[in-house]
Amino acid sequence: MISIKGLTVRFGGVTPLDHMTVDFGEGTNGLIGPNGAGKTTFFNVLSGFVRPAEGSVTVFDEDLFSMPHYRRARWGLRRTFQTEQAIEELTIYENVLMVHEHSSKEVRASRDEDVLGAIKFVGLTASPYAKVASLGAAERRLVEIARAVVGTPRIVLLDEPAAGLPDEETERMGKIIQKIPGEIGALVILVDHDMSLVSACCSKTAVLDFGKLIADGATADVLRDDKVKHAYLGAEAEAAA
Amino acid sequence: MPSWEDFKPFIITGLALGSVYAMSGVGMVVLYRATGVLNLAFGAVGAMGALIAWQLINHNGWAEGPAFVICVLFGGAVTLLYGALFGPPLSGRDPLIKAVATLGLALILLGIMSWVWSDKARSMILPSSNHGFEVSDVFVNYTQVIALGFGIVITIVTGLFLRFTNLGTAMRALANDREITATLGVPVRRVEAAAWLGSGLLAGASGLLLSNLVGLDATTLTFLVISSLAATLIGRLRSIPGTFLAAMGIGLVNALITPILSISQYRDMTPFVLATIALFLLSGRRGNALTGRAG
Amino acid sequence: MSATAETTAPEAPTTAKGGGGGRSWVPKLTAGERVRALIILGLLAIVLFLLPAILSGYWINVSTDTAIYSVVALGLGVLMGRTGLVSLGQIAVLALAGWVAARLCFATSLPFPVILLLSGLITMVIGTLIGLPALRLQGLYLALITLMLAGAIGVALRTTNFPNGGAGFLGHTESDRGNGTIRRPALAHADTAFFRYTVIVVAIMFLIALLHVRAKPGRAWAAIRQSEPAALAGGVNITLYKLWAFALASFLTGVAGGLLAARSGQLFTLQFPTQDSILLLAAVLMGGIYSFWGAIVAGALMRLLPALLDNWGLPADLLTILFGVGVLQVLLTAPQGIVYQFPRDMARLGRLIGGLFTRARGAPARERAG
Repeated sequence: MISIKGLTVRFGGVTPLDHMTVDFGEGTNGLIGPNGAGKTTFFNVLSGFVRPAEGSVTVFDEDLFSMPHYRRARWGLRRTFQTEQAIEELTIYENVLMVHEHSSKEVRASRDEDVLGAIKFVGLTASPYAKVASLGAAERRLVEIARAVVGTPRIVLLDEPAAGLPDEETERMGKIIQKIPGEIGALVILVDHDMSLVSACCSKTAVLDFGKLIADGATADVLRDDKVKHAYLGAEAEAAA
Repeated sequence: MPSWEDFKPFIITGLALGSVYAMSGVGMVVLYRATGVLNLAFGAVGAMGALIAWQLINHNGWAEGPAFVICVLFGGAVTLLYGALFGPPLSGRDPLIKAVATLGLALILLGIMSWVWSDKARSMILPSSNHGFEVSDVFVNYTQVIALGFGIVITIVTGLFLRFTNLGTAMRALANDREITATLGVPVRRVEAAAWLGSGLLAGASGLLLSNLVGLDATTLTFLVISSLAATLIGRLRSIPGTFLAAMGIGLVNALITPILSISQYRDMTPFVLATIALFLLSGRRGNALTGRAG
Repeated sequence: MSATAETTAPEAPTTAKGGGGGRSWVPKLTAGERVRALIILGLLAIVLFLLPAILSGYWINVSTDTAIYSVVALGLGVLMGRTGLVSLGQIAVLALAGWVAARLCFATSLPFPVILLLSGLITMVIGTLIGLPALRLQGLYLALITLMLAGAIGVALRTTNFPNGGAGFLGHTESDRGNGTIRRPALAHADTAFFRYTVIVVAIMFLIALLHVRAKPGRAWAAIRQSEPAALAGGVNITLYKLWAFALASFLTGVAGGLLAARSGQLFTLQFPTQDSILLLAAVLMGGIYSFWGAIVAGALMRLLPALLDNWGLPADLLTILFGVGVLQVLLTAPQGIVYQFPRDMARLGRLIGGLFTRARGAPARERAG
């Protein structure tokens, strides 16, 4: 379980996160909000790229901020990025291996199994020894997911994993994401703008707007919430509704 | 430890030298802020201008005045040409790439200088070096006065220019955000051209003065840019007054170490030592542009 | 041997999987890679045995220098190509390494290989110590610090000079007694023998770099180059790996310095002009920063080409100008350098030949994983 209390980030006169207080439990949690709501900033705080002005984050009863950023992966925190960051000049195998060898204490012997297992988990059909540069956009995103789930992650942060993908790829991505808590055993926080993806994967969803938490609960309820609609669509929706 | 009397002559030497470093440092900062290019060929440009002037005076019978003007103009012309040819295609790249590209220019100029003029020892004495006055038993020649004056005047003028003129404001806007500035209707290419030209003219002038204060040798003059660079780094590539003060400091400390015999031979390490200290003091703060880490 | 092709084709390495064996630390080669390795060994044999037979004494020395400088270029390539760190002062580091090697030569009677190793290690330690604080700086500032560092080392060396058999810590003396020659390995005294010795050491250095690139550090470096945040998120300790790159580059340069000291017999500051650091950067850019072949090309640009020009009566300054043009050309058009194409073609060739082998064996060579 991740427990966030009063998380606030300020820089240059802007407050991207404003006293955010929410808990994320086992399973897949959604985090949505209009552009600029602070979702990526939140992930950046968890990753350690941004230091908060106030607040605390407790991950499975440990204080996240007491860990230096590069150690968080070893602890079990994984993340994907909005613009995919799979390493082009390496092969799929090497991409996943890279994360695994830096974030696990496994004996080298089992690495091979773990890496191939992760590649299989995301359903990549290309040869593991193909260079990422030769892959298409959807496959590269799968490589990133494989990097996020290899080994024994405890928390997986997915930042718009389906951005720019056509519907059927998005659906496929959704099925994979849904498998993560059960098969990999990690808590997932999914950020995306695609509401069908969020509804399909997440039982609970939190909503950010201008850095503030405006709703939190069962996904279906949250998506029906007037406040949430207002945040996305503005006043006209209220008038029309 | 040498006495005050031993130090005195080096004060003016240091101030004059520091002032020229300031002049070229300020030129580099203005160009960097307007275009993102840190021109590492600054010294080479000045050196070649000085050599051309020397050639005109000693082999073509030119009078000194016009030859010096050519030197300064040469600086402006070469820099402007470089900026016109290589500025636009590299404009979106990382400042590091842009700076390394100027090294290409430096090599070309160094090669030409070495080929045409070879490494013979030369000197070019400005007429003002032969006259001067005495201040507290130390002889100060007019070249040093000119250098000192130039440095101060250029710094002040540049500061005022950036702040109060339209062109200067446009340059500062460019430094902030090129895209937005372009959409505001500012003629970006022309402003950049002005920055290239202006810094080039300063390069030529610096080369001329340094050839007097230090000596007319292509390699030495080219790599004196390191001292100006150190000053610009201490000024964080942003502050005109900071660059000026840093340059004066470097020039002074460098000169004042001369009479301290135990370390005198190492005095040319001054720019490096001062820049390193400053850089590490400055980058110690969190969220600094130098470190690129989020604050 | 190209660093840009970690694996040449989507075919599984020919180790059998399963049985709990896993992958060993030294990656096994694919068929295509084995062919390439054979080609390289063949070239090595030619260089070791054919060249000394056909070249005169002067050109043997030029070749030795080319080999030495290709190691320096390799070091810079590791820094620039693998981690994106630009050093404008590698020649100063080379000079430092030469100083260390010379000092060890005169102060001790250690065997030459030990001196080589020591100069490599000492330079590595110095390079890492400098790297530690320097790494907190961003790209441009880091490059400028290295430029200034080079200037400082240059100033210091001009004053202290190189050890030449004199007494004291600096080991330099102006008197006649100071004409000691830096010694060479006992079995490689003559120029030709020393050339072979150098080539073997250089081959070992390239091998060390290759092993780095193909293993954990290489993958971390690739990640850092692609995106530092993503690398951090993947658990890479960026500072550690950048330092490792610094350490490797310094070690390589250190060994090169030792070889250079022995090759020259006596070292002088004018062998290491500040300009050379810039020329080296240009050469590495032109040769291609990602490619190991590029390092060899860079070495040739630094030492072979000037000798050729001199031979044809052309001024060496022409090269300086050409290098300048080369830098601009490379940065404008092909950031990976001329030699980017070469390894790709070699890779294709390797794959072709490898494919012939596997078909000849008639086995379904492609083991698909999972």
